[in-house]
Amino acid sequence: MDLVLQLLATGLVVGSLYALCAIGWGLIYGTTLHFHVAHGAVFALAAYYAYAGQTLLHLPLPVAVVLAIAAAALSGLLIDLLLYQQLERRGAFRTSIFIASLGLLILLENVLAIVFTPDPMRMDIGALNTAVIIGPVFLTYLHILTVALTIVAYGALMLFLKRSRWGQAIRAVSSAPEMARTVGIDLKRVHLLAYAIGSALAAPAGILVAMDVGAEPFRGTRFVLLASVGVIMGGIGSIPGAMLGGVFLGLLENLGIWKLPSEWQSAISFGVFLVFIVLRPRGFFGRTIHSAEI
Amino acid sequence: MTAYFAHYLVMVGIYTILATSLNLLVGYSGIFSLAHAAIYGIGAYASALAALKLGLGFWGGLLVAAVVGALAAALVAIPSLRVAGDYYIVASFGLQVVILTVFINWTSFTNGHAGLPGIPRPSLFGLVIDNPFKYVVLSLALAAVTYAICHRLTASAFGRMLRAVREDEIAAQATGKNVVAVKITITTISSALGALAGSLYAHYITYINPTSFTLDESIFITSLVILGGTERLAGPFVGALILLAVPEALKFLAIPDTVAAPMRQILYGALLILFMFVRPEGILGRARTRPAA
Amino acid sequence: MAAPILTVQGVSKAFGGIQAVEDCTFDVAPRLITGLIGPNGAGKTTVFNLITGFLRADGGSIRYKGEELLGLHPHEVETRGVVRTFQHLRLWGKMTVLENVLLGCRTPLGDSVVSLFLRPGRVRDEEAAARRRALEVLEFFGLAGRVHEMAEDLAYPEQKLLSMARIFATDAEVLLLDEPTSGLDTDSLGRLVPMVRRLIEHGKTVLLIEHNMELIAQLSDEVVFLHQGRVMARGRAEEITRDPALTEIYFGV
Repeated sequence: MDLVLQLLATGLVVGSLYALCAIGWGLIYGTTLHFHVAHGAVFALAAYYAYAGQTLLHLPLPVAVVLAIAAAALSGLLIDLLLYQQLERRGAFRTSIFIASLGLLILLENVLAIVFTPDPMRMDIGALNTAVIIGPVFLTYLHILTVALTIVAYGALMLFLKRSRWGQAIRAVSSAPEMARTVGIDLKRVHLLAYAIGSALAAPAGILVAMDVGAEPFRGTRFVLLASVGVIMGGIGSIPGAMLGGVFLGLLENLGIWKLPSEWQSAISFGVFLVFIVLRPRGFFGRTIHSAEI
Repeated sequence: MTAYFAHYLVMVGIYTILATSLNLLVGYSGIFSLAHAAIYGIGAYASALAALKLGLGFWGGLLVAAVVGALAAALVAIPSLRVAGDYYIVASFGLQVVILTVFINWTSFTNGHAGLPGIPRPSLFGLVIDNPFKYVVLSLALAAVTYAICHRLTASAFGRMLRAVREDEIAAQATGKNVVAVKITITTISSALGALAGSLYAHYITYINPTSFTLDESIFITSLVILGGTERLAGPFVGALILLAVPEALKFLAIPDTVAAPMRQILYGALLILFMFVRPEGILGRARTRPAA
Repeated sequence: MAAPILTVQGVSKAFGGIQAVEDCTFDVAPRLITGLIGPNGAGKTTVFNLITGFLRADGGSIRYKGEELLGLHPHEVETRGVVRTFQHLRLWGKMTVLENVLLGCRTPLGDSVVSLFLRPGRVRDEEAAARRRALEVLEFFGLAGRVHEMAEDLAYPEQKLLSMARIFATDAEVLLLDEPTSGLDTDSLGRLVPMVRRLIEHGKTVLLIEHNMELIAQLSDEVVFLHQGRVMARGRAEEITRDPALTEIYFGV
């Protein structure tokens, strides 16, 4: 029982990280329909931005983190501006955008691997490493911060989408792009905004993981895969769904360890995903998938 | 012909089979798969195990490889292709990860990282194919057979249907085509062929381990397809000829090994991006007139 | 009067709070042209989508020659004998005119991978027969001179004809035409309108969505008037198009 509680707690922490990636990725995918695998590169870059800020520029940790998030948001925005939008101007198909995104992911990850070596770059997180013991469960302040931050980020995003003008513009573009265009919404600007916000959400996830176990160049690939699984399970177009999907995956992975060897973690998530799309292709909260607008 | 060049040609043959079969999916059907390395691996392990544990020869191994590869792909394709195409990207991504996990962790079966040594060489009517020169003939012959199969598929009513599904699957449905069945069929065939390449590889190198079948390998195969061109069936062959020569070129530049691997990946990544900009149809493709922005 | 070839009975469909189609009921008589008219947003294309299986009705029944179509996939509906065109044509622009029509022809052997490899002779014969049929159809629609051109290179009126040729080649008996005359000038209309009549002479039944009241009066034998997802009226074309109350609904709003 103690073990289960520990696994639940760890699952919640990991789930929060997946959820952060998922809501960011889901926002981008829902708005632009780009299969933005390079989101994994933004995740990795954010970690290295924070690491570089702290270790190379000797900035205090909070400053380094905030700057890193801003830099990551900018990075995501530039990816859309300089890569995807340029391809779209040339009439590229969606598969071409995906292939370019994949190419960018590979390229950036390997550049990081050459510059920083593939070994984990650890960060100095001082007091955040302090243990917190709640009954049989062992966590650190960092882990609690992770869950708290995710909840805050989710709340802020939902508020932004519901209340602000730009948030509503994003929602309009997500559900009916052609109609949004006719009422005068600048699609390109909305896309850029979605990329900036989505990337700003992936950044804390990458940074938090780096603060825990070190920054690594290739971790982003796994996170973006799980983010997309989470979004599909949650239902495309639903931010709450993506949140739920991410948390669910985190819990699933960790509870799976209870009965199965830990090397099989990814197989579990993937297996559940397959069963899920057989039984409920639209996910927890997705719209029923109609044929494309006829 | 030196043994070195013969080795290069054998690998060109193997990668031509891999890239041509992936092109059936990516180029002709518009279905993107990240799992081709996993399928390659499934073919290699299935064939190797058939030989080592069941005493089947190379030809039996080929058959086992094709069947197992087809089944693995169908298992993933059937649930995910019923829904939108992007689901298959995720599902194939996941398949790649899971299969690799199986290779590494199901040690009783696959020996994990230690790999499977001692895979027997193929023999044909008593003649054992035991050196690279003989293998070149086998490899290129199988590549030619793969080409012929893919040609029959694509230059037929079925191929016409594939192209229609790729361009507008709703119109295809309205014209009586069972789009889901078509996609599942082509995915299964593509994987059967990809698995064949695995079998060919296993009996050539006579030793296999999981590191040959990672996501990086899937990316490499994708690069072959994109470079050579998705429009022509011969595109992947050209892609293989070029990209397999690259590591040799890098060796000339005396780049240290630790940097060489990421450098190759950077090259493939850059290549994918570059080609999407400059020539999405690849080296051999017909240039498409681009629609007005 | 002959038994209806297509019956729509109590069909309804809602999307996220909006009732697009409600309790829609009408028959389509065989070998006649039935017009489906109504103001914008009345649900006409939705009805087409429901009949052909692109959307699944929430309730009701759709029968073709007595057989239930509700719940079938679009390709199954087509195989049974009901086929449709699209308002935005949805031609395969990057394929030739001939290929577009060939895809409409029945090629079950050529479409089957097994037959492709095990019965090459029969596949070849089937393909040759399909080609002959496709060329006949293109001749019928006046597109014989354009056979090897890319569909996207055709002028708009010819593309409209091609989209009709494609479904004609399928041998389906019931043809649903979604705004076949939209965007055409008078000359092109002069080419296309007689084609629709000739379809009937070939034993087909046509249900068409049309906005132009004059054309409806000219073309249709029967008319079904749809408004806000419900059938407001149906009857002979002359009656419906002259009914002042309906005209008001159509233009008023």
